[in-house]
Amino acid sequence: MKIVIVGNGVAGTTCALAARERDSKADITLVGEESDYFFSRTALMYAFLDRLSRRELEPYERGVYSKKRLRLVRDKAVDLDAVKQTLSLNGGEVLAFDRLVLATGSKANFFPWKGLEREMSAATGESHLASGVVHFVGLQDLDVCEALVPSTKRAVVVGGGLIGIELVECLLHHGVKVTFLVREPFFWPVSLCAEEAALVLEEMKRHGVDVRLGDELARVEKGPDGRVSKVETMRGETLFCEMLGLCVGVKPNVAAFQKMSTPPRTRRGFLVSPTLETSLPGVFACGDCAEILSAGPDGAVNFESPGQALNELIWYSAKRQGELVAQNLFGDALVYEPPLFFNSSKFFDMEYTTVGDVVAASRTNPSWFAVAPNGRASLRVVHAQNKVVGFNVLGARVDHGILAKWISEKRSVDECMERFKEAQYDVEFGRVPVESFARRELPPTEVKP
Amino acid sequence: MKKLGWAASALHSVKNRGLLGWLLSGALIAFYVILYFDDKVLPGGQLDAFARHFFWFLPKAATPGKWTFYGFLYSVAMVVGGSWVLWKYRHNKYQIVRTSVVMLIQVSFGFSVPILLKVFSQPEYYFSYFWPLKFDYFQPSTIASQPLPFIVYSFVGSLLFVPIMTLLYGKRWYCSWVCGCGGLANTFGEPWRHLGTKTQRSWKFEKISIHTVLVICLLTTALYAVGALADLSAYPRFQSGAESVKAFYGFAVIAVLSGVLGTGLYPLGGTRVWCRFFCPMAALLGLIQKLGRYRIRVKKNMCISCGLCTKYCEMGIDVRSYAQANSDFTRASCVGCGLCAEVCPRGVLRLENRWPLDPPEVSFVDILKQRAAVSQKG
Repeated sequence: MKIVIVGNGVAGTTCALAARERDSKADITLVGEESDYFFSRTALMYAFLDRLSRRELEPYERGVYSKKRLRLVRDKAVDLDAVKQTLSLNGGEVLAFDRLVLATGSKANFFPWKGLEREMSAATGESHLASGVVHFVGLQDLDVCEALVPSTKRAVVVGGGLIGIELVECLLHHGVKVTFLVREPFFWPVSLCAEEAALVLEEMKRHGVDVRLGDELARVEKGPDGRVSKVETMRGETLFCEMLGLCVGVKPNVAAFQKMSTPPRTRRGFLVSPTLETSLPGVFACGDCAEILSAGPDGAVNFESPGQALNELIWYSAKRQGELVAQNLFGDALVYEPPLFFNSSKFFDMEYTTVGDVVAASRTNPSWFAVAPNGRASLRVVHAQNKVVGFNVLGARVDHGILAKWISEKRSVDECMERFKEAQYDVEFGRVPVESFARRELPPTEVKP
Repeated sequence: MKKLGWAASALHSVKNRGLLGWLLSGALIAFYVILYFDDKVLPGGQLDAFARHFFWFLPKAATPGKWTFYGFLYSVAMVVGGSWVLWKYRHNKYQIVRTSVVMLIQVSFGFSVPILLKVFSQPEYYFSYFWPLKFDYFQPSTIASQPLPFIVYSFVGSLLFVPIMTLLYGKRWYCSWVCGCGGLANTFGEPWRHLGTKTQRSWKFEKISIHTVLVICLLTTALYAVGALADLSAYPRFQSGAESVKAFYGFAVIAVLSGVLGTGLYPLGGTRVWCRFFCPMAALLGLIQKLGRYRIRVKKNMCISCGLCTKYCEMGIDVRSYAQANSDFTRASCVGCGLCAEVCPRGVLRLENRWPLDPPEVSFVDILKQRAAVSQKG
């Protein structure tokens, strides 16, 4: 069986390795456009922080690819013919396949900001060396950022999410003064409550970040050399800078495939069935680029008028989907069912873990909130009728697996708090004494009508 | 790369095998060659004479020599480096406790106590070292010169206490809490901990080299035992052969590998060259550790494959390969320094002393395999 995988990121590479586990004879080719070898995108910031080299970002020793007989091709897919089952590459090579996996990942979002018309019309999602306008998603962004920092004293970073705060931390490391524009009234409301965001804000201030909440980019001005010189915000402030970071989310990277001979159906991403198969038979998609439809009552998927869909843009999901697709390539029809949600991050020195539902559920339910006296750790437990539904932990380590188990078993808040020690994962001698924190009940964020 | 001033550039060069790193390594190696072989490279007895002047305030009974002076330098290096480590990892209780203990043991059992023993007319004895690292404590001539409590301590310590502690807590209780070699690596050696090679090839080499030294060490001990228990005067060739094996061990293992290369290569090969590739004690404890309850636990499906754990592993373990495969692990070489858990930005790793979880965790891959098996049947 000939398997071609487009994209050598975490979804594609995980899929390739799992396919090899499944079938020792399959002919597996990985086509990567961005890099010769799979690298950890989530570790990009540690390269910019000078803690890891480019080579150290690679999760596998290079010998693994020859040992597992995975052919790596550094090229760009330019045409897909699903009838003849061929994929044409920019370099002229035509790859025949029995099964094709699209794992093209995502690209940085770009909005039509005033003053950035030239960047808008160029290839969006890429960083621009000449104008000092950068994203922080890929290796090209890292190269451009590293080239720019020596001539940068001040920078503005737009976007109150994970990539934004990572870029802020990296720029500070390089001695750049950073202003962080967060559109929302507090940092990262898709995962944090206002009280938690306040703790993260304090952490940012401790590290010298100038954070502007509730403000966004209005206009960009460039100097005579074409490099960004100042930005104006919606609130009318003028911020001088030599670098502008745009970290306003990512979107599935599907544009190139929409123009091919036999384009798979797309909306936001490649539309796929619950078994991760696209509208083209034998063509699958996984990771950031996949938009997973739910099956109708008859068990079928309607690609023509797609309804609700799931588009997970996180590392852990890409890994899971890659593993699952690898099985379905061989005729299994495993349905992708994401486990209970969990995610993690680190805001400067403050670690963060979330499990279950901490946002939607807290709109209509009270949360139990405990904060360390020094404000560097907190625990929030969201519960519905006294049964836990979600945990948010800042500044302490927990085993999300145990918390997920408690949620699925609908344990009571009291029991979870009594046994919270069992889920704690801090270093020896260093358990964060959550039970001694001042605690209070947070009301639902939305008042019931 | 970050814009670097001259001081930062120099530091970068020292820490990352730059010119200054090579020069420092050369200087350290030269220092150890002079220290071990001063009678060959210097006019006789100069170092000992210097040490006697340096420790003028000690009573005569202490008989300070070059090794006393070396012990002093060693302790200073550990206290200075250790203070920096305590500050750097001040948010991490495990690092604070571990570093404090290893510093304290060096200053007391590793330096002051042996001098005090001599002052009180007792043999110079290091309570923090055991066979097979402190090879001579099982040597008949040493044993003959010691009072009974010391002999009992040597045997009970090496043959009972050390293995039991290792079964319960892993080799870390010794290699990164007590031992002076590990102590120097984790304090003075902190700037170079990331330089150890992480390749599969180095792991293969390590398995051969360290166990070879262990075998030579056991063999040499056996020769001593035979020499002590049996009258060998009838077998002169065996006797002379045994003598040359003992001399070779003393020179090659103790002087060259643990001293000259073990510490001299800090700025080039990382801080645990001796511990990882050659130390017979580490080899033995590693084998016991595999049977014990110590392990590194991996949070399931939380690894982002960044590789910081691998980079900062001083024993050259590719920690990331276990973390991204969701697999708890016990590697024979792991000295439990805890730095992998410290640098992990997602808190995936945890050092633990407990027997495998019951019931065992099921990974997402296992679930998929079960489901695939069911769907194939159906």
